[in-house]
Amino acid sequence: MMTFRRILKYFILGVIFVIMVFPLFWMFALSLKSSGGGLTLENFTYIFSANKFGRYLFNSALVGLVVTAGNILFCFMCGYALARRRVIGEKIWFYTVLIVLMVPVHIVIIPIYILMNKLGMYDSYAALILPWLVNPIGIFLIRQYVSTLPVSLEEAARIDGAGEMRILFKIVMPLCRPALAILAIQVFMTNWNSFLFPFILTSSEQYRTLPVALALLLGYQSINWSQLMAGSVVAVIPILAVFLVFQKQIIAGITAGAFKQ
Amino acid sequence: MNRYRRYKGWLLFSPWILTFLIFWLFPLVYSFILSLTDYRLLSPDVDWIGLGNYTRLFSDSDFVASLKNSFIFVIGTIPFTTVIALFFAVLLNERFRGRTFFRAAYFMPSITAMVVIALIFSNLLARGGYVHLLAQMIGLDPPANGFLLSEKTALFSIMGMDIWMASGYYMLLFLGGLQTIPNELYEAGRIAGASRWQQFRYITLPMLKPVTLFIIVINSIKSFQVFVEIFVMTKGGPLNSTFTGVYFVYETGLRQFDFGYASAAAYILFAIIALASLIQFKLLKTGWTA
Amino acid sequence: MKRYSILICLVSLLILSCGGDKAQKIKISWWNFWTDANIKPVVEQIVADFERQHSDVDVELVDLTWADGHDKIAIAFSSGSGPDVVELGSDWIPEFSSTAHLMDITDIIDNDRDRYLMWDPAVYQDRVYAFPWILGTRILFANKDLLSQAGTDPEFSPKTWDDLYSASKTINDQGDDVFGFGSNSAERHRLYKKFLPFLWSNGGSILSDDGKSCRLDSPEALEALQYYLKLCETGLTDTQRRLEDAFLDGKIGFVISGDWLLKRIDREKPGFNFSTHLIPVPHEGYHSISFAGGEYLAVNAQSPHKELALELIKHICSPENQILFCLKNRTANPSSIAAASDTAFLAQPHFDTFIMQLETSRMSPAHPRWVYIEGKLEKAVESALYKAKTPQQALIDAKNDIDELLKP
Repeated sequence: MMTFRRILKYFILGVIFVIMVFPLFWMFALSLKSSGGGLTLENFTYIFSANKFGRYLFNSALVGLVVTAGNILFCFMCGYALARRRVIGEKIWFYTVLIVLMVPVHIVIIPIYILMNKLGMYDSYAALILPWLVNPIGIFLIRQYVSTLPVSLEEAARIDGAGEMRILFKIVMPLCRPALAILAIQVFMTNWNSFLFPFILTSSEQYRTLPVALALLLGYQSINWSQLMAGSVVAVIPILAVFLVFQKQIIAGITAGAFKQ
Repeated sequence: MNRYRRYKGWLLFSPWILTFLIFWLFPLVYSFILSLTDYRLLSPDVDWIGLGNYTRLFSDSDFVASLKNSFIFVIGTIPFTTVIALFFAVLLNERFRGRTFFRAAYFMPSITAMVVIALIFSNLLARGGYVHLLAQMIGLDPPANGFLLSEKTALFSIMGMDIWMASGYYMLLFLGGLQTIPNELYEAGRIAGASRWQQFRYITLPMLKPVTLFIIVINSIKSFQVFVEIFVMTKGGPLNSTFTGVYFVYETGLRQFDFGYASAAAYILFAIIALASLIQFKLLKTGWTA
Repeated sequence: MKRYSILICLVSLLILSCGGDKAQKIKISWWNFWTDANIKPVVEQIVADFERQHSDVDVELVDLTWADGHDKIAIAFSSGSGPDVVELGSDWIPEFSSTAHLMDITDIIDNDRDRYLMWDPAVYQDRVYAFPWILGTRILFANKDLLSQAGTDPEFSPKTWDDLYSASKTINDQGDDVFGFGSNSAERHRLYKKFLPFLWSNGGSILSDDGKSCRLDSPEALEALQYYLKLCETGLTDTQRRLEDAFLDGKIGFVISGDWLLKRIDREKPGFNFSTHLIPVPHEGYHSISFAGGEYLAVNAQSPHKELALELIKHICSPENQILFCLKNRTANPSSIAAASDTAFLAQPHFDTFIMQLETSRMSPAHPRWVYIEGKLEKAVESALYKAKTPQQALIDAKNDIDELLKP
């Protein structure tokens, strides 16, 4: 009886597994298929030589890393200020989290589009990076974490004559490493996959990121499905790698409710 | 000293104040003002037209159709996503060999870029794609030109894809919720002679209420904003059957540069989302516990 | 302190002496859409040529992409900036000329009007605002192998609607895996282009000659739409991209496409057995009128160097430079009549069909609200194709909607 249940359970798990993984498997398989039918890497060499995928990859990586670094720094600063009651009106600031969660991005995108044009930042790295350097969900994640740390450490350091900066970055920040790791991974993954803002705020190939490039390539006559899937694989692999390495932090982060897709 | 430290505190906090003012509050106010004008990109004169855009929207059959599609999308995906995610979570909550492996596998679609998913499925759902072939094999009668080119199936197939993609993500949220349920409750249940189903029905489900609420609210907000899938897979067609609210804003605002009109449409969507979230809170009568 | 001021003096001198050479040069910017690695060197070569002839001019090339080049131009113009020379798709011109963003070149290009084709889309209220450069039209491609498989002469060339319909039907009846005619599904900005050749060849039109009313309720329009729908039944309906895939796979007998398909066949299936034909006409004696589009060059009305900008345009459009460009890009339709009749050009296989087709091709009507009109027209064809409306109803609804848009 027990074994029958187990077999049934594994059978159900297996069927779901196939359903969940097949589309991605299909993507990998097609990207490796040559026009003659055999296995090949030619689709990858093609998209890198004829379609500037190197550039898109670089843009995605650059924007992703800068935004992640910005979030580590700024969310930490803001979260710390909140946790140590150096800023009043915590409740109001908590409502900004709700606003950012609830306001549909399309309502702000037209003004941001006009704003970026007026500032001369349309179609530049600044347009891709500036709006995302800090996010309120990250701030509250750090705030939560810092509140669990004892204040005595900071006070002791202050008595020893350590300056504000030193206390902040040499003493508190290293202690926050677990929370910052969760934050960094989630920000990077969200940013890497983001489409709408990069799509609307840039136009030239020089600043195009991978998701935008992929969406636009579908409309080109000169690229076939295997090449398109090769491009998709390029976009998926870094995230997959991050996921496999940091699985535990990612799952912890999501269950902490700190993930906005 | 204290005032000095306060001042420095605000300095530390200033990145979020600036970002919030420039990239959230200003756009929110600005687009509301825009929505009361007839501002178009290439025409030099701008006039106040009050609620003119709003009244025009409700007589615009394209906009009404897009609202209808958005509602179908939200109402048609959320129950499935929630139930499937819960099913996955219950399945993967107990300890057994391979649990981490299956969790990771089910979660994988959620970490993949929506653009990539949409590309993959626009092939799988087309004539001769694997999903289309499978549907033929099991005797369903799929549209001859593929799922995305028929006005009867296009929206539903994109909804199906979204359910497939999002289930793994919400599964993790449910798993988080399941872990907060104290084991003693189940023990007490077992002693009282409750069956597994009864334990699930009377212990697990009520305890998961806050998570469920959170999931439903977040998922409605997200589903109401569906855009990338539509942009990549159907561009709103055929016969406007996949033309959703956000796609309407994109078309009128950023293709035709009818900024005032598009902003009004965006605000109506915002109002609907806010209202829907409010109603959901009230209906489930639970506070915010995330 | 003193040391610093000396340093500043030195640095500013250095900057001045370096910039001196450049400061005297006149800068002209040209926004264009040719980012492809294959063709960009040719564009650069043409520009370098111009700079050699005008040693005091420096041309700055800026790349746009089809994805949102249009948006970028619109934004630049509306904010008062923008390039000196801009490349525009033919159906965008009225939008910018009617809002006074383009320079009126009517009096300067007088004798060029006989040497270049297709001025119509550049005209707004009898004035000319853009210069035709690269044109393009759609013709009928046929798979010869499928024709002979179906027992038709592989050299068969469908001249009339009946010819095409019966040939397409014969191929379509060969089996579930082969199709006669490849027709576009609901695809924005594509579907209506496939219907227009049939409408126009049948003597119909979208707007009346004075542009004040819509003529989609005419019997010619109805007849054309009914025929088009009947033709679509003898084949496969899919997106343009997948239709061309299927055509190259040998699954489709006939497909309407542009010169990019030639390029693709060259690259992917060099030995492919196909032929090209003019768009069939309703009955013998009718003109085959296909859909044409094109790239136009215009001068920004705000440009401080209008004359030089126009000179650059004329240089780019000269017959020699057009031949150079079109041969490299495998474009079949230059706007220069001299270039189109050059022997090197005509020797390219299938180019003659395109050149002949272009002679009787038409572009979409030049109207500032064309984007909206196009949307209504497309909706009409789409709703008839998907049987949401009868052809009559679809056309009458479109007429009423478009009449509404035409009201001043």
